[in-house]
Amino acid sequence: MKNDLPAMFAILIFPGGLSLLLGGLMFEWIDRKFVARLQNRKGPKWYQPLADVIKSFSKEEIVPAGVNAGLFIGLPIVGVTTALVTGLYVPLFGFAPSHSFAGDLIVVLYFLSVLTLTLGVAGANTMDHFSLIGATRTLTQLFSYEAPFMLALLGPAIVAQSWQINEINVYAQNHTWFLFSQPIGFIIALIGLMGKLELPPFDAPEAETEIVSGALTEYSGRGLGLFHLGQDVEFIIGITLITTFYLGGLANPLEFILKSLGLLLVLTALQTLAARLRIDQTVGLWWRIGALLALIQLIISIAIRKLI
Amino acid sequence: MATVVSASDQSRFIVPIGPQHPALKEPGHFEFTVDGEIITGASARLGYVHRGIEKGAESMNWTQCLYLLERICGICSHIHSIAYCQGLEKLADIEISPKARAMRTLVAELERIHSHMLWWGVAAHEGGFDTLFMYTWRDREIVMDLLETISGNRVNYSVNVIGGVRLDLSPEQVTKIVSGMKKLEERTKHYLEIVTNDSSFLARTRGIGVMTREEAQRLGAVGPTARASNVCRDVRVDAPYAGYHEYPVKIVTDTAGDLKARFVVRIKELFESYRIITNVAQNMPEGELKARRVPRKIPAGNVISRVEAPRGELFYYIESGGGEGPERIKVRTPTLPNWGSVLTMAAGLRLADVPMLLVGIDPCFSCNDRLIRLNPDGKQQTLTWQQLRDRGIEYYR
Repeated sequence: MKNDLPAMFAILIFPGGLSLLLGGLMFEWIDRKFVARLQNRKGPKWYQPLADVIKSFSKEEIVPAGVNAGLFIGLPIVGVTTALVTGLYVPLFGFAPSHSFAGDLIVVLYFLSVLTLTLGVAGANTMDHFSLIGATRTLTQLFSYEAPFMLALLGPAIVAQSWQINEINVYAQNHTWFLFSQPIGFIIALIGLMGKLELPPFDAPEAETEIVSGALTEYSGRGLGLFHLGQDVEFIIGITLITTFYLGGLANPLEFILKSLGLLLVLTALQTLAARLRIDQTVGLWWRIGALLALIQLIISIAIRKLI
Repeated sequence: MATVVSASDQSRFIVPIGPQHPALKEPGHFEFTVDGEIITGASARLGYVHRGIEKGAESMNWTQCLYLLERICGICSHIHSIAYCQGLEKLADIEISPKARAMRTLVAELERIHSHMLWWGVAAHEGGFDTLFMYTWRDREIVMDLLETISGNRVNYSVNVIGGVRLDLSPEQVTKIVSGMKKLEERTKHYLEIVTNDSSFLARTRGIGVMTREEAQRLGAVGPTARASNVCRDVRVDAPYAGYHEYPVKIVTDTAGDLKARFVVRIKELFESYRIITNVAQNMPEGELKARRVPRKIPAGNVISRVEAPRGELFYYIESGGGEGPERIKVRTPTLPNWGSVLTMAAGLRLADVPMLLVGIDPCFSCNDRLIRLNPDGKQQTLTWQQLRDRGIEYYR
C-alpha cells in the first residue's frame, strides 16, 4: 500500500512519531501480558505501559553526583530520537516507508544500534558500580549479536539484489516468503532481536538480581521514561523489519499487523522458556553458533543465486 | 556483624550487594571484589535484622516464650516450637503421647515442603528463570492450603503446646492431605525433570559453587547444603525426635556438591516428606493430644535440643533456674554455619552466579541475626544494658 500522506504528518503523527510511540507501548503491553499469562500470572492492564511512561515523566529527574550532566540528560534524547528516525525508513503498519534511498538498510541497522550505544555510554557515564557493569555487559552483548543479526538481514537483501528496504519488501511481496526459503536466517534474526531488545534469556545487561537495573540504575524520571520509550520503539521497528523481510513483505495494514502480532507472540513465548544466560554464555552462543549459522545461510543463498 | 572472610583491599572494584538489593529478600550486606566478571573476594556483614529475641525471652514465662520463639522464622516457625517444647519436656520430664509426636512430625514435614518449594522458586528467580518461579509458587499453594485447613494459619501454625499438640486431624483433613500429597508428588517429578534436564538451567547450576565433602565438613555446613556435598548428616536420622522413630526418614545425599546437587537433594527430600506425611496421616495413632499436667515452674537445669529444620540442624540451649521463665535461651539457626561455605565458594565464580550461590544455602537472615561479638581483641569487657543499647544505636547510625 502506498503512503500518500503529507511528509510532516507522516513524520509526526502517522505512521511515524506518535503512532509509532503508541504502537510501541501497545507491543510492550502485549509482551508483558502474554508473558504473564504464560507464567500463570494476571499481567498488567492495557494502559500500564503508558501509565508507566507518564509516571516517569512526572517524577523528578535526579542527576547523580560525579556525572557529566550534559551527557546524562542528552543521551536519552539521542537514543529515542534515533529510534524514531528509523521509523522513516521502515514500512510501519504495512505502509511503504515515507523515505527511502539505496543502502538505507545499513543506516537503519546503525540507528537501531545507536540506542544500545547510548545505553552503554549512559551507564559508563555514572560512577555507580551496577551501572558500569551493566554498561560493560550491554556493549559486550552488542558486539555479540550484532554481526549475526546483520548477516541474517543481509540474506534477503542479497537474494533481492538490493540494500534498499523498500525494494527488498517489494521483492519479498512477490516471491515465496523468506521464512521458507531461508529458515536459518529467520531464526537468527528473531533471536538476534531478542538479544537486541535485552529480552530474557538475554537480559544479563539488566539482570535485576545481580546488577539492579544495569546501565539504567541511576536513571530516574524523564531520562528513564525516554529510554523506555526508545526501547519500545526499537521493539516495534525490529518486529516490523523481520515481518517485512521474512513474512512476505508489504501487505495491507490489517494483514501486516496480524503477521507482526503473530511474530510478537512467538517472541514472547520464547522469553518464558529458559533461565537467564550469563554474559559469557551469550557471547559464546552468538559467536560459536549464531554467527556460524548466519554465515552458512548467507553462503547457501549466494550459491543458489549463482547457480540459478 | 561477623565478618566471616575479610574484605579484600579497598582499591579494587567492589560490587556491593545489599543491605537493599533486588536479589535479597531480607537485609544483609555482601561485598564482592570483581575483576571484570570474575569474583576475587567476598565478605559479608550481617546483623541488620537483629531483634533481641533471646533477651526478650528471658523476661517472659515459659508459655509466652513458645509464641515468641515460634516467630523467629516466618517459614520454619513450627520447627522452632518443636525444638523449644522438646527441650522443656525433657527438663520437666513430661512424656508426650504418640499421637502428639505424630502430629508434630506431620506438620514439620508439611512445613519442609512449603519451605523447599519457596526456596527453589526464589532460586529460579535469581537465575532469571521466572517461569519456574511462578509455577513452583502456584503449586506451593497446595501445601499452604493444607496447613491452613489444619491449623487455620498459613504461617505460625501454633500447633505445639508444652506437653503435646493443640490440634487433631479430622477424617476429611486426612483425605485432603493424602490427595494433596499425590498432586504435589506428580508436580515435583516434573520439576525434578526440569532441574536435571533443562539445558539453560543446567548451564547456570552444573559445576557452579562446588563444595567437596571435606570442605563441607571443615566449614561445618548443615542440612541440604551439606547433604548435597555427600555429608550424611540429618538430625531426623542421627538423633530421631518427635515421630521419626516410628516413621523413619531416608537420608538423601548427592555426590556432586554443586548448585544442581543442592536443587536435586531438596527436591528428592520432598518425595521422602510426601511419603512420611501420607503414612502419618493414614496411620495416626490414638491417644491424648497433650499431657494432663504441665507444671508452671520448670525444674532447674539445662538442656540442649536439636532438630532438623528445612535448612539444616537447628540448635536450642535452654537453661532454667527453676522459675516461671527461662534463665537463658540460645538459638543457632542453620543459616549461620552455612555462611562460611558461600563466601569460600564465591571466589573464582562469575558475578552472574552470585545471586544463585547466595540463595543456594537457603539463607534466612532474620533467623540468623543474633550473634554478637563484642571483644574481637580478646580483652574482657563488661557492658551495662544502657551501654549496649547506646552502642547498638551508634553502630547502625
